Amino acid sequence: MIFELFLIKEIKKFPFFFLLLLFTLLLGTLGLTGISVVSEQVKSKLEESARELLTSDLVVSARRDLLDDEKIALEKIVRKVPHQTYKVVDIYSMVRHEKSSQTRLTEVRSVEEGFPFYGKITLTKGEFKVDGLYISKDLAEIWGIAIGDDLKIGEKVFAVKGIVQNDSSQGLRGFSLAPRIYLPLRDVEETGLLRPGSTGSYARHFRVPGYLEKDFENLTTQLLNVLPDSAIKVTLPQESSEQSGRVIAYLTDFMSLAALIGLLLSLVGIFYLYQSHLVARLKDFCLINLLGLEKRHIIYGVILQFSIVFIFVVILQTLLIIPGYKLIYPMLSNALGLDLSSEVNLKSVLFQLPFLYGLGLAILVPLLFGLMRTSMGIQLKSAKMSMGHFRFYDFIPFVLLLWGFAVFLSHSFSIGSLFFLGLLLVFVLSTCLIKILQWILRKYALPRSLLFPNIETGVAIRNIVHSGHKLTLSFLALAMGATLISLILQLDHLIQKEFTLDERKPSLFIFDIQEDQMDSLDEFARGQKVKLEGVTPMIRARLEKVNGELFKRVEGKSNLRTREEEVETRMKNRGINLTYRKDLSPAETMVEGEPFPDEAPDGKRPAYLSIEKRYAGRLNLKLGDRLTFDIQGVEVEGIIRNFREVKWTSFYPNFFVNVEPGFIDDAPKTYLAVLPQGPKETKRYFQREAVGKFPNISFVDVEEIIGKLAASFDKSRRAIEVISALSLIVGLVILYGLSHDQVYRRYYDLALMKTLGFSSGSLRKQLLIEFGFLFVLAMGIGFFLGWLMAVIIGREVFKLGWSINWEMIFYPGLLLSILCLVTILISSWSAVRAKPRELLSDA
Amino acid sequence: MMNVINVKKSYGHGPSKVEVLKGINLKIAPGETLALVGKSGSGKSTLLSLMAGLDQMEQGEVWIQGKCLNQLSENELTLFRAKNMGIVFQQFHLVSTLTALENVILPLNLLKDPNAKVIANKLIDHVGLSHRSHHLPSELSGGECQRVAIARALSTSPKILFADEPSGNLDEETGAKVMDLLFKMVRETGTTMVLVTHDPDLAKKCSRIIHLEHGSLV
Repeated sequence: MIFELFLIKEIKKFPFFFLLLLFTLLLGTLGLTGISVVSEQVKSKLEESARELLTSDLVVSARRDLLDDEKIALEKIVRKVPHQTYKVVDIYSMVRHEKSSQTRLTEVRSVEEGFPFYGKITLTKGEFKVDGLYISKDLAEIWGIAIGDDLKIGEKVFAVKGIVQNDSSQGLRGFSLAPRIYLPLRDVEETGLLRPGSTGSYARHFRVPGYLEKDFENLTTQLLNVLPDSAIKVTLPQESSEQSGRVIAYLTDFMSLAALIGLLLSLVGIFYLYQSHLVARLKDFCLINLLGLEKRHIIYGVILQFSIVFIFVVILQTLLIIPGYKLIYPMLSNALGLDLSSEVNLKSVLFQLPFLYGLGLAILVPLLFGLMRTSMGIQLKSAKMSMGHFRFYDFIPFVLLLWGFAVFLSHSFSIGSLFFLGLLLVFVLSTCLIKILQWILRKYALPRSLLFPNIETGVAIRNIVHSGHKLTLSFLALAMGATLISLILQLDHLIQKEFTLDERKPSLFIFDIQEDQMDSLDEFARGQKVKLEGVTPMIRARLEKVNGELFKRVEGKSNLRTREEEVETRMKNRGINLTYRKDLSPAETMVEGEPFPDEAPDGKRPAYLSIEKRYAGRLNLKLGDRLTFDIQGVEVEGIIRNFREVKWTSFYPNFFVNVEPGFIDDAPKTYLAVLPQGPKETKRYFQREAVGKFPNISFVDVEEIIGKLAASFDKSRRAIEVISALSLIVGLVILYGLSHDQVYRRYYDLALMKTLGFSSGSLRKQLLIEFGFLFVLAMGIGFFLGWLMAVIIGREVFKLGWSINWEMIFYPGLLLSILCLVTILISSWSAVRAKPRELLSDA
Repeated sequence: MMNVINVKKSYGHGPSKVEVLKGINLKIAPGETLALVGKSGSGKSTLLSLMAGLDQMEQGEVWIQGKCLNQLSENELTLFRAKNMGIVFQQFHLVSTLTALENVILPLNLLKDPNAKVIANKLIDHVGLSHRSHHLPSELSGGECQRVAIARALSTSPKILFADEPSGNLDEETGAKVMDLLFKMVRETGTTMVLVTHDPDLAKKCSRIIHLEHGSLV
């Protein structure tokens, strides 16, 4: 009976309402489901290609070569199983093109026979072999290198044997510090590049035929037990694919949050639609109740209606997403450098469905409670029907679910919560602002005559003061949409500002300077009439103990880890670079604790340590904690004296751990330094000459890196903008619907005003004043809150400074204001043609 | 005062076309109170709407104070109606966001009457609602709303007042009180009134009764 009553008959009678509901929900959920489909396709492809990404079944790696006893321990385990193995060393090195004398930083992949076990390296011509120098297509294009050209790497010159078109182990085409070149390992050893302290990664790759996933996990455990140093990693293909997809994962997380706003706006619309609909149906509900149907059955009927609409939304989404994906996947494949499948996997969509359904239902809960609280019998006797009121705590399920969904989508408790709090702030501030505005108008404008300042404004003011929460909903929808646009634009501005080259950033970042080269390099620089700055020692170490307890490597992987937990795991499972410096660098600010004492240490106490604040947070460190480091077999203990904040985008040599001078000064080290901003030609000349004289030292062109980062960020930004635009479209559709409904609710009022003497133009003017004022105010608050959120997110997540881009407030604000006014005009056009005839008794 | 000449009106098209008024001719003298009576669907409200310029006739003319309503543009008609007519509706139709006093002031403000507030206060007092003048319509009872509506309709001292079943939404006792007030005020001001009603007792209070049946005067 409920089915027939609430579904078949209702849908037949109110097709327009259900269609509108369907359309609103579809629009709001499309962004999220689209993102999850793309994200799932990328993840699947990376998982599928996991072995190709890793090039083997298992890798044992570290930022240094294994010690002899480690090699023996490793050998003891692996010799028990039939296997093949090769070594790969990845280091950064300067390379000089002999023909053009140009130099640049490259990633040198040094390989042994058998590489790669899985995957393929495709050349432009010929076949890849481990028999000489092969360079990436990027490098060939930058310098116009042909096969046979000479490149000087370290102390040796090599002829280019081939150009690599595609390397399946490179994963996603994203940002890379330097183009890749390939050399046999034996040749790299002759270049003299493999010096202690050189920045690189040493890996032993294994292929174990016939082993299953469980077997590899056992093998991993055995290896980790005999190689306790947390700096040594054992990687299986799955982790490699996760690593490779990390950037995309972060991007889709942010895009999902932007799409969540679109969903939220559509839910605002659904709340509004359903409220109007239920009030319109109230009389019939009361009659049905009077005839014997219990209230809870009426509520079940409403839930059933929504559920059926939701099912149709899911079907429509599937029908839209599948062809939509097939249309864009070639473009996506090209942009990411991945050969994505054309077949759509809807697994992640299915996973999201319960949340989406739950949120939709949760937004109706207050209305359903209102229905439960309605005294149906009394309503039938009233001239004007009204539903029972909902209370603020009726919204708690919705609020909690929204927060949970934000955390789920962002895979981060802090980012999800920050985002949720931002939305809550918009809601609270918008609601408060409307109330404050109504109070101000009631106190200062209402006592004045209707003609103040003119009759249209007088009536508009009274409409604002005496209108109910439906006006708040319109205001809220617009404020949220404006907040989103402003957030994206201002965050973009802050990040762009960070990634512009200014005189504070260096022109060259120099690393891998051996200890015995520092003086000569300095002298060389002075000879070139340039001064090196930020000369900082770097000492490789391993964190052994925290407060006397052995520091354990973090194990255990789970798909339900947050981003924070992933970062924490990475932080805990790698070696650490230490430095010693008395004072803060220009990119550092002490935020807690005391600075290092002026007087030299007397040898009676451990060294003081200065720790980067976020790093300290990840390891749960506090002031006064004792850390013990192992520096090439020598233990050094330190006490945390202060925490620092570091501006990593300064491109200045910065470290997580700074040790008080006087304790590790004599440890084996390399140096970092920077060349300050100056004429471009000076930089190029210096780099070219320095590479010739010091072939093992690496130089990073900061301007080029900033350009690459900016370009990479640009791509990400465009993706976020697409989703933001979709959310904005949802917002505008909802806004149009709400303002149209608001205006039409005035239909009888407008007809009445016409009979009393208002002209159509006057009525339009009154509507424009009322809604225009509110909407422009909503946008003002939205743009301000968006800027505020951008500053907070920029500060907390990216450690950016703050500034405001007025153009990005003014122009989008102006455009949106015009759109809003046009929306009101369109809504009002037919409404002001209301027929006074309809006010009469027989109409 | 008012001259209705061969007014015809129908709704719908083709086979579903309904001729509501079939050529009405009527003259109303100044100060006269005219009751339009007839069964539901007889065309009384339609005739009233045409006389008040709320709707357009297919054929015929309506003259008020020497002005033919058919010849006025929409804006001219709006202004003319504001200056010369008052309307009381069955459903009261007060502006929901204006107080009782503001509802009465509104037509005076539209005509830029400098004494708007004074006149409105007087009228509110006259209808016995001084103590409720700052309440919104949602806070007033049906009878109170209709009294405000009467005060509003008479605020501009209209030449003619149209009342469309003004007690139709009220209970018997309240309706009687409201109608007594209406007739009293109309008498005091000498306003011409056209009253649509299906209540024969109410109709008898008017100086003339006209019956409508199937769109024609009987």
